[in-house]
Amino acid sequence: MTISRRKFSGSLSGAVTASLAFPGLVGKTWAQGATIKIGMCAPVTGPAAESGRYAQIGAKLAIDAVNKAGGVLGKQVELIVEDDQTTNPGIVLAFSKLASQTDIVGFLGSIRSTQVHAMAPDVMKIGKPVMIGGTDPALTHMGNQWLFRFRPNDSYSGSVIAEYGVKTLGKKKWAIVHSTDAFGTAGGKALTAGLAKHEGTTIALDQGYANQSQDFTPVVLAIKQSGADILGSYFTFENDLGVFARQLRQLGVTIPYIGSPSIVNITALKLAGPALYGTYGVADYAEDSSPASKAFGKAYRDVAKIAPDNQSSWTYDAITVLCMAINKAGKTDPTAVREAILSIRKHAGAEGEYNFDANGDGLHGYNIVKNDKGNVVFDKHVESTS
Amino acid sequence: MDLALQLFFTGLGIGAVYALVALGFVLIFRATNVVNFAQGEFSMVGAYLMVVFAVDLKWPYGWAFLAALACMALLGAVFNLGVYYPLRNRTFLPVIIATIGASIFLSNAVLALYGPQPQVLQGWFETPGLQIGPVYLDSQYLLIMVVTLALVAFNFWFFERTMLGKKLQATSQDKEMASLLGIPVSAMIMLTFVYSAMLGGVAGILVAPILFVSIQMGSTIALKAFAATIIGGFGDVKGAIIGGLALGVIETFGAAYISVPYKDGFAFLVLVAFLIFRPQGIFGERVAEKA
Repeated sequence: MTISRRKFSGSLSGAVTASLAFPGLVGKTWAQGATIKIGMCAPVTGPAAESGRYAQIGAKLAIDAVNKAGGVLGKQVELIVEDDQTTNPGIVLAFSKLASQTDIVGFLGSIRSTQVHAMAPDVMKIGKPVMIGGTDPALTHMGNQWLFRFRPNDSYSGSVIAEYGVKTLGKKKWAIVHSTDAFGTAGGKALTAGLAKHEGTTIALDQGYANQSQDFTPVVLAIKQSGADILGSYFTFENDLGVFARQLRQLGVTIPYIGSPSIVNITALKLAGPALYGTYGVADYAEDSSPASKAFGKAYRDVAKIAPDNQSSWTYDAITVLCMAINKAGKTDPTAVREAILSIRKHAGAEGEYNFDANGDGLHGYNIVKNDKGNVVFDKHVESTS
Repeated sequence: MDLALQLFFTGLGIGAVYALVALGFVLIFRATNVVNFAQGEFSMVGAYLMVVFAVDLKWPYGWAFLAALACMALLGAVFNLGVYYPLRNRTFLPVIIATIGASIFLSNAVLALYGPQPQVLQGWFETPGLQIGPVYLDSQYLLIMVVTLALVAFNFWFFERTMLGKKLQATSQDKEMASLLGIPVSAMIMLTFVYSAMLGGVAGILVAPILFVSIQMGSTIALKAFAATIIGGFGDVKGAIIGGLALGVIETFGAAYISVPYKDGFAFLVLVAFLIFRPQGIFGERVAEKA
C-alpha cells in the first residue's frame, strides 16, 4: 500500500484538528498502549539548541529513574521529543504533532515564556497537563488550568533580586537591562515592582534590547551615564549575555551585578568567562542548596559530564512530578492528573521544595548564588513573601 | 563627545564585518548575476573550521587560519560545482533558491557534525583592547578594520591592475563576449566562488571572538550585509564597503540616541528609504548599465 504525500498530510492535519477540536473524544484512547507516553517540545535546533540538549538529558534521567522504580501504573514511561526550533511557530507545530498522538498523557513545554504564550491556546484546546519552565508570571495567571510551572516565576525573582541588592549589598540606585520578549519584559517589570517595596531606591535606567543583538555598546554606555550603583538583568539568550558581559567589563563598568537565572547557566559561564566573575545570580537550581539538588547534580554529571543547571533540572522535576501525579491519581485522566499535581506538597525536587498553589506554580523562592571565578557558589535561599 | 567617539568606533567595527560579508555578495553577484544567500553560512563555516584547527587540534593561530582558508577555498569550489554550475543556464530564480537550500544544508551539516554548543574562539591578541583617552578600542574590531582596508586595497589592485582580475571583470560584465575573447568563463566563475568563500570565511573567523561561534552567526550578519550591498549599490565593491560601514555606524548611533530595541530597525529603515528614493544605491548598479 502506498500513501501519497497529500493523503499523509491530510491524515496528519485531520488528526491534529480532531485532537484540538474534540479533546474529550480522543481522550478515551489514553494509556491503552504498552507504555505511558510523555511528549516534550525541546529546541533541538535554533539558538537554544545547546540548552535543549541539556533539557533532554534532564528529562531522560527522570524517565530512567521512574522506569527503574517500576514505571507509571505498572508500565514503562516513554519520552517523545519534537523539535521546537527555538521559535514560536516551531513550538506550535511541535505541540500540534505531539497532540495528534492521542496516547500521550502529558507534555513538557518550553523554558521560554514567549514560546509558552504561543502554544497556550492549543494547550487549552487539547486539555491535558503541560509542564512549563517559562517564568513570566502571567502564564499561570491567565485562566489556563493545564499549565504547571516547575521554576519560580519572575515575580519571585524580581523581589529576591531587589531584596538581595538593597538589603545585603546595600545598593539603591539601579540600572535594569532586559530583553524585550515576554520573559525579559515581565522580568524587568517584576524587578521594578520588587524595588518599589524598598524605600529610597531609584531606577536610574530601564533598558530593553532585542534578542540576538551583536553589539551592546549603546546599552553599556547608557548604564555608565546613568550613574547606577548596581545592575540587574534579565537576558533570554546566553550568547547575548556573553557579548554584553564582555563589553560591560571592556568599557569599565564594575558595579555589582545581579542577573536572572541565565547568568549562571553553563553556556553563559563558558561564553562570558572572566567577564562574569564576581557577579550574583538568582538561580532556581543550585547544586549545594539541598540533598535532592546534590543527588540530581551527581546523576547529571555522571551522564552529561558537565555541571548541571536549570535547563536540565526543571525537566527532571517536571517528569518526576508528572509521573508521581499519574501514579497518585491511579489513572491518566487529565482532570485527575491535574488535581494530583495541585495536591503535591513538600516534594523535594532538584530545583527546590514543590508546594503547588491553585495557579499551578510549584516553587515560590530563589537561591542566590555567586560566580566565584567560574564556580557557581550557593549563598542562600530566599523564599518570596510576595 | 566621548560617547559619540566610542559609538563611532564601535559602529565602524561592526560595519566592517558587514562590509566583509557584503564584499562576498557583490563579487558573486558581479560574476553570476545571482545573490548567494549562503554567503553568511560561509562565515559560519569558516569560524567553525578555525575552532577545529585552533581549539580542537591546538594548531598555532597562523597555521589554523591558513588551513581554514584552504578548506573554505575547497568549499567555494564544491559550492560552485554542486549549486551554481548545474543551474548556470537557468534563470536567476532557481539559482537563488539553490543557494538558500545550500545555506540550510550548511547550517544543519555543521549542527550535525559539531553539535549545537556555541564555541569560544579567543582573539588574536593578548591585549583585549586599547584605552585611548575616553575611547576603548577593542583589538579585534581594530583588526577587522585593518583587514577590511587591506582587502579593499587588494581588490582594487587585483581587479584593476592584474590580467586575471580584468578577465574576472570581463566575465562578470558579459559572459558571451568574454567567452568569444577566449576567457575561460567557467574557470573565472569557479575562481569567484572560491574567493568569495574565502572572504566569507575571513569575516567569520575575525568576528568569532566578538560574537562567539554559533550556527546562527552567519545568518545574523548576512542579513545586514545584504542590506549594506543594496544601500551601497548592488554589484559595486566600494558601495558594499561604504554601505557596510554606514550601516554599522547608523544602527549604533540609532540605538544609543533613539532606541536600543529598534536597533535592527534603523538598518532596515535606511534600506527601505534607499529602495524608495534611490533603488540603485549610493554608487549605482552596474547590472543596469549592462542592459
